[in-house]
Amino acid sequence: MPVTFTFGEMLSARSVIGSTLAELGAQYPNLWVLTPDIGATLVEFRDTYPERFLDVGLAEQACVGVAAGLAYDGNIPVVSGMLPFLSMRALEQIRSDVCYPNLPVKIIGTHGGLVGNGGSTHYAVEDLSLMCSLTNMTVTSIGDPVMVGEILRQSMEMTGPIYIRLAVGKKDMVLYEPGQHDIKIGKGIVARDGTDVTLFTHGTTVAQALEAAQELKADGVSVRVVDMFTLKPIDADLIRRCAEETGGRFVVLEDHLAYGGLASRIADVVADSGISLTSFERLGIPQVYAGFGEDEQLRNKHGYGLSHTVAALRRAVAK
Amino acid sequence: MAIPERPRHDVAELEDLAYELRRKLLLLCGTYEGAVHIGGDLSAADIFTALYHYGLRVDPTDITNPERDRFVLSKGHAAVCMYITMSMRGFFSYEGIVDTYGQLDSAYGMHPCKVQLPGVECSTGSLGHGLPLAVGMAMSARGRGEDHRVFCLLGDGETGEGSVWEAAQIARSNELGNLVAVVDRNRQLMTSFAEERVVFEPYPDKWAAFGWNVVQVDGHDMASLVQAIDGLPAPDSRRPTVIIAETIKGKGVDFMERNLAWHAGSLGKDDLERALAALDAGREKELV
Repeated sequence: MPVTFTFGEMLSARSVIGSTLAELGAQYPNLWVLTPDIGATLVEFRDTYPERFLDVGLAEQACVGVAAGLAYDGNIPVVSGMLPFLSMRALEQIRSDVCYPNLPVKIIGTHGGLVGNGGSTHYAVEDLSLMCSLTNMTVTSIGDPVMVGEILRQSMEMTGPIYIRLAVGKKDMVLYEPGQHDIKIGKGIVARDGTDVTLFTHGTTVAQALEAAQELKADGVSVRVVDMFTLKPIDADLIRRCAEETGGRFVVLEDHLAYGGLASRIADVVADSGISLTSFERLGIPQVYAGFGEDEQLRNKHGYGLSHTVAALRRAVAK
Repeated sequence: MAIPERPRHDVAELEDLAYELRRKLLLLCGTYEGAVHIGGDLSAADIFTALYHYGLRVDPTDITNPERDRFVLSKGHAAVCMYITMSMRGFFSYEGIVDTYGQLDSAYGMHPCKVQLPGVECSTGSLGHGLPLAVGMAMSARGRGEDHRVFCLLGDGETGEGSVWEAAQIARSNELGNLVAVVDRNRQLMTSFAEERVVFEPYPDKWAAFGWNVVQVDGHDMASLVQAIDGLPAPDSRRPTVIIAETIKGKGVDFMERNLAWHAGSLGKDDLERALAALDAGREKELV
């Protein structure tokens, strides 16, 4: 069944994955879905296309290898699981079995960032850094649950691999009206326009970024929020444009290590392109094993919550 | 389009082909200045010969034919042995391999690369990766109702990798009777003999415990290899098969056999002559 949604509502990204894969399964007879025992939301696909569904059990390395074997034979495999395990335990399989021969394997999963209260074994906080290092890999991080379906659909025609990162995916705010933005892999979304400072973000912190921008509006500060959901290839044109149009003031907010993720990707573009900035500040996870707590509590504890975001934006516009 | 049937070699012809393969391997090892994984090439030479010249349904003129048997080289460091075997089967030219092996921009590298050399089924080299790939190909065949087999050649040393056993479990769980693993059981790792640092035995029992159909053969006895291939269960059967081929690392060259120094190496002019003489002496003994 297609998922219906309304702007501002809460929606489960996982249910969108489930329904989108079932829909794509009809359209693409070579679409396979694989999972290492994280299959609860894949039931519709499993029941409709049991011959193209494979739950391997707890075996991330072989799961990715099997996906590569399927892809060598002309199939389009989607591996769905928990990202701390897929991105690290199966890293070499992703690199040498999928990226090296440039196979159209899609890695999609949850638990990107300090989310889910599982502790540091269950937080993927290095994943974007690792995935961005891999030649041939396209890297995305999605906040809006409806967008997940759109990205999956677009990825079907890709000839190489893609990594799709979600937060917990059980309850996410619908951020965009349907048709409001031209959503395209490789292009950042100006989620809110502004002229004083650009706040770049991705994934689970897009909602927080929009909230911070709204808060600053009361003070007459105009914040541009860019949902840079594709980290690789990075939208360098948009970065250049934002530097010109928002006074060279950048703040980067992300639920990932502050060094190695989006902030580093943007800093690379800035350095390589000789963009001159007035200010640059990054908010993200410091080099700690973050401990337990609810998502928002952890963001506050580790210096990239809403109040920190507001404060960083104020610092930026004061320069 | 069906894979063309061809007259099958008898055991004596296969033995000749294996001798020629070893000779060509040594010649390459004698001309190429870098290291060649000659020990594990020589242990697998009879297996490669039995597969490419007898067991595998493949067509060198139609490498993407969907009906072809797939071959995954999990012990990727034996790539050059595969290239030469495939050249003898008509896939590549031997001169092309010898002239460019390991050199800048060559398609023939130390480990097989599908992008550089489309004639091979997949890119491998990191040990423990091949069997999961083969499982994926076997699943694909099952999904499409195709009746070809997927063969995967592993070294016994690399079965220390956990991913091999993950794949073994998945293959059994999904009843992949179209999957055949062949283990080159040469009982040597790179720096130690099997059982010395790593206990492999009871080795066949391990595969049996994972629910595989286990076949044990002398990996240098061509008749046994042929018999194992002839006896494979039908591709639509429900248990994957492992052929455990007992071999000798460095087989055919006396000073390389069971010698840790010859995991990989290069032959100078004198050593090449010595190796070829040893190969011929062994061959004569066999023929008598």
